[in-house]
Amino acid sequence: MLALVFALSSGIIGGLLVAALPAARTRLRNMVVLFFTGSGMICSWLVARQVWAGERLRFAGQLGGLTFCLDPDPLGIVFGLIAATLWFFTVVYSLGYMAGKAHQRTYYAFLLVAFSATLGVAFSGNLVALYLFYELLTLTTYPLVIQERSPEAMQAGTKYLLYNLAGAAVLLLAIVLTAAWGGRLDFVGGPILAAGLKTGLNWLLFLFTVGFGVKAALLPLHRWLPAAMVAPTPVSALLHAVAVVYAGVYGLLRVVYSVFGTTLLGELGFAALIPWVAAGTVLVGIIVATQQDILKRRLAYQTISHLSYILLGAFTLHPWGLAGAVLQMIGYAVLKTAFFFCAGIIAEQTGVTRVSQMGGVGRSLPKTMVAFAVVTLGMIGMLPLGTFWGKFYLMKGSVAGGKWPLALVLIGSGIINAVCFIPVVVRAFRDENKRLSITERGVRVTLMLVPTMLLVVIGLGMGLFPGMVWPAVQAVVDWFF
Amino acid sequence: MTTLIRANLPVLVVIAPLFVAFILPPLARRIRLVEALALLGAVLGLGGAGYLASIVLTQQENPFIYQLGGWPAPWGIELVAGSLGVFFLLVVGVSVPVLLFAQGNLAAEVGDAERVTRFYVLYLLLVGAMAGMAVTNDMFNVYVLVEVATLSCCGLVSARRHPRAAEAAFTYLILATLGSALVLGGIGLIYLITGHLNMGFAAQELSRVWLARPHVVLMAASLIVVGFGVKAALFPLHVWLPDAHSTAPSPASAILSGLAVKGYLICLVKFLYGVFGPTLLQEFAVHRILTLLGGVGIITGSILALTQEELKRRLAYSTVAQVGYLILGFGLLNVTGLAGALFYLASHAVIKATLFLAAGAMLAATGKRNVRDLAGVGRKMPITMAAFTIGSLGLIGLPLFSGFIGKWYLLLGSWEAGLILPAVAILAGSVLCAAYLLPVIRAAYFAPAPEEDWPDPGRPQKLALLLLAAAVVILGVRPGPFLELAQKAAAELLAFY
Amino acid sequence: MSGLLTKVLINYPYLVAVLLFTIGTFTVLTHPNLFKKLLGINIMESAIFLMFVASGNIRGGVAPIRGTTNAEAVYINPLPSALMLTGIVVSVSVSAFALALIMRLYKAYGTTDLRRIAARRKEVISDDHLDQG
Repeated sequence: MLALVFALSSGIIGGLLVAALPAARTRLRNMVVLFFTGSGMICSWLVARQVWAGERLRFAGQLGGLTFCLDPDPLGIVFGLIAATLWFFTVVYSLGYMAGKAHQRTYYAFLLVAFSATLGVAFSGNLVALYLFYELLTLTTYPLVIQERSPEAMQAGTKYLLYNLAGAAVLLLAIVLTAAWGGRLDFVGGPILAAGLKTGLNWLLFLFTVGFGVKAALLPLHRWLPAAMVAPTPVSALLHAVAVVYAGVYGLLRVVYSVFGTTLLGELGFAALIPWVAAGTVLVGIIVATQQDILKRRLAYQTISHLSYILLGAFTLHPWGLAGAVLQMIGYAVLKTAFFFCAGIIAEQTGVTRVSQMGGVGRSLPKTMVAFAVVTLGMIGMLPLGTFWGKFYLMKGSVAGGKWPLALVLIGSGIINAVCFIPVVVRAFRDENKRLSITERGVRVTLMLVPTMLLVVIGLGMGLFPGMVWPAVQAVVDWFF
Repeated sequence: MTTLIRANLPVLVVIAPLFVAFILPPLARRIRLVEALALLGAVLGLGGAGYLASIVLTQQENPFIYQLGGWPAPWGIELVAGSLGVFFLLVVGVSVPVLLFAQGNLAAEVGDAERVTRFYVLYLLLVGAMAGMAVTNDMFNVYVLVEVATLSCCGLVSARRHPRAAEAAFTYLILATLGSALVLGGIGLIYLITGHLNMGFAAQELSRVWLARPHVVLMAASLIVVGFGVKAALFPLHVWLPDAHSTAPSPASAILSGLAVKGYLICLVKFLYGVFGPTLLQEFAVHRILTLLGGVGIITGSILALTQEELKRRLAYSTVAQVGYLILGFGLLNVTGLAGALFYLASHAVIKATLFLAAGAMLAATGKRNVRDLAGVGRKMPITMAAFTIGSLGLIGLPLFSGFIGKWYLLLGSWEAGLILPAVAILAGSVLCAAYLLPVIRAAYFAPAPEEDWPDPGRPQKLALLLLAAAVVILGVRPGPFLELAQKAAAELLAFY
Repeated sequence: MSGLLTKVLINYPYLVAVLLFTIGTFTVLTHPNLFKKLLGINIMESAIFLMFVASGNIRGGVAPIRGTTNAEAVYINPLPSALMLTGIVVSVSVSAFALALIMRLYKAYGTTDLRRIAARRKEVISDDHLDQG
């Protein structure tokens, strides 16, 4: 219980401390940031162990007739662990990336508070708490998006807020309707909605999809994500490849399994449509990615594409599909973060932001490009990376759920991913090196490189030894089926 | 002594501010004394309200019925302090922090000591009138109090010496008096067919008589809705509000947007539910019209707010939009919706007061009036901007702030009434509210600040801002007792037959 | 037809009240002259007063003063008249306030026509001083 409370509050306390410290005391601030993210991560693992052992951690409060509660279950634990662990890695990376940049105090303060908000989403036990932390997440990540303070950044920030707040408004309507129809808002105790008017439920599902779909970057609600790439790379890596977008995906998973339940969804017409929207997003996302020259935008569209893998798996309504979705969540998070980290190192060391200029970079930054190459394999879904297993179960689930064309979509997407990035890797090593003076030495680069390499190693580990993550996945599938 | 006070409590709560108002003018030279006495008057009113609340809520006497001069109803004027009365009396307590803000701060805006004293006199008259509106149960008494409030409001608007203030005050006076005349006409019609001025007796008589004279009842209802609509800035009768509330001094804007408009809405609720009753309202589809006008008001008010460059005009149009929420809730005819509307009323009173006071402090310190000129204010005036941010987040309706609770129950209420369009309007209003308030916060915190020195206001002002901001958060996190009070008030209103 | 005529003849105060009310409202809303707006308000309020006072009247009734008439007489209802005394006081206060405001506007703009005031608004005093006194 204490672990739960501390895990959640470590971000807020840390953020407030950072805000209170004067801007000049960088060393103290760095220590505070590392301490609080580190302890937050450790506490999250403690919470995970307790939940996996079968304990029930519940923390409830009243908000005037509305109950608000925290109640982590295996799905929330998976999301929480991904967020907490990767947050620590991102913070270490930031110490290297952000060194010498402006507005660091704001950056770290909001990064920490957003950490609490994300854990809040992950550990929430009912729709009210989920909504609260969801909105908090939008607001606390906004200053991170506009970190550069350039006109482009401010525009991106406005788009970010408008999309997300509009989505949240739709979400609120969906939650009120759920409360009116289902009578309760808790996640525990089976799906909230039983039978009912079919038209009404279809509309409710539509509202939920739109509400969570903004963050989950479902087409056509995805437009904020490429614009948000103007944020610093650690922000793009963590938030817009993992934390914020996963909050949307997590929300949709909750809708499928805790609000409607697989049996009810099987009867709704709209629910049969969503896997196709997700499939469309998968394909369109990666196709558009191939046309992007700016590296971060290419990665952004790839994110949009890969997020829909998870949704595809969830909406197959089959335990294998869910297993695939969870495996994909874990594997993809690790690798995508590393991918963005590489892009950041390249941008910071060589000034290269466009794919067309990446020729020869591999000769100056060999370790970075090796990581880049390994991650690319992962994005295609090949062994020995962890994402292979995710894709495997997603395809199994699609076929078992009766939607085998989705498996074809997955295979196709893998091929397009290859087309998108393999030539980049090849040219990076093969072409002449025009930047002979750039190296990978220095404290700053090491701070950025070590987390990247560690993440790649973890990705490899998950691929070669899937038994590491399987228990967590099994726990989720058992919980809902 | 205490038994005397306790026995006459409802009328004392109304009279205390009035009495203090009348003793202020001779003391005009000693401005400190004037300010202290004015604050004392408002605090006494609030204290009395709290005492009355404790009596009513602990069921010692619920409702607390008081007959003026000992004359029994229906011949005398009756004051009834039930859940609704106590609820609004507590909301009127917002006048205390606003008055605290005005301490020592008015001379710059209003003028010399004489003018400041007159400001306080009008302010206390307004507070007394609103306290009266909370508890009165006599229709003509409502008219008298409404007129007192109108004249005080117009006086407050005309406090500045700039000719724009005089123009705004004149327009406000003419339109508000138009509204009062309409209300009086409606009261006259009700009196004509029922022969009663006491709301309870009139309601009973009306339920017997309306079938024979449906046109008269419809006419009376229309006159009252339009009359109070003009005064409460119901769309499309709101045209006077932006000029009036933006040219008034900041404490005046705070109390005008925060409380005065709400007082008229409470009177409207008393007429609609206490005299006409839910059956009649449904018969004439008045409730649908209210919900429709409320919804349209939310959207148009918010869109108009987006187009305003001046901060105070933006907040004024925001009030028009928020009044739309309240009217929408009044038209839902179920306990959830009505309780949500009442809670939202209290929440908006606190929030608007916070926003206007913070805006006033910022405008006074920087000398600028437009939103885009306020870049960097957040770092130079942290407490003021923090209060503004808390108020804005509350207005947008984020959880943990008071606005969320009100909106939740309004949404639930509209669903119970079987309507989906009001829910859409409420949510669209939230998004639009974010659209016109978040840019102010963004400019204040994230834009580079100029070199000038902009200090935070003085101690009484900071204390007032902190109190109001704390109230927004407390109502959001622990709404329990206040929300229950709103629900009881709603249940009482709907159970009139 | 005769029924309608009888009704009109009996209720003529109310008809006059409605007519005055309409005239008053129309004047307030359409005339640009400030004085005329005020007059419109006064006419409107007079209409309301007329309606109330007429409602208290009873044909053949006498003023309700004790001891001056025999016990058979019917007293008219004094309540509406008493209420309208309050109303008249309110109307007078509003008129006084409005006149004071008109004088202030005349001193600032030199005209009592709203259209010309709107035209002169930018010329007379810039809005920069709006926040001071």
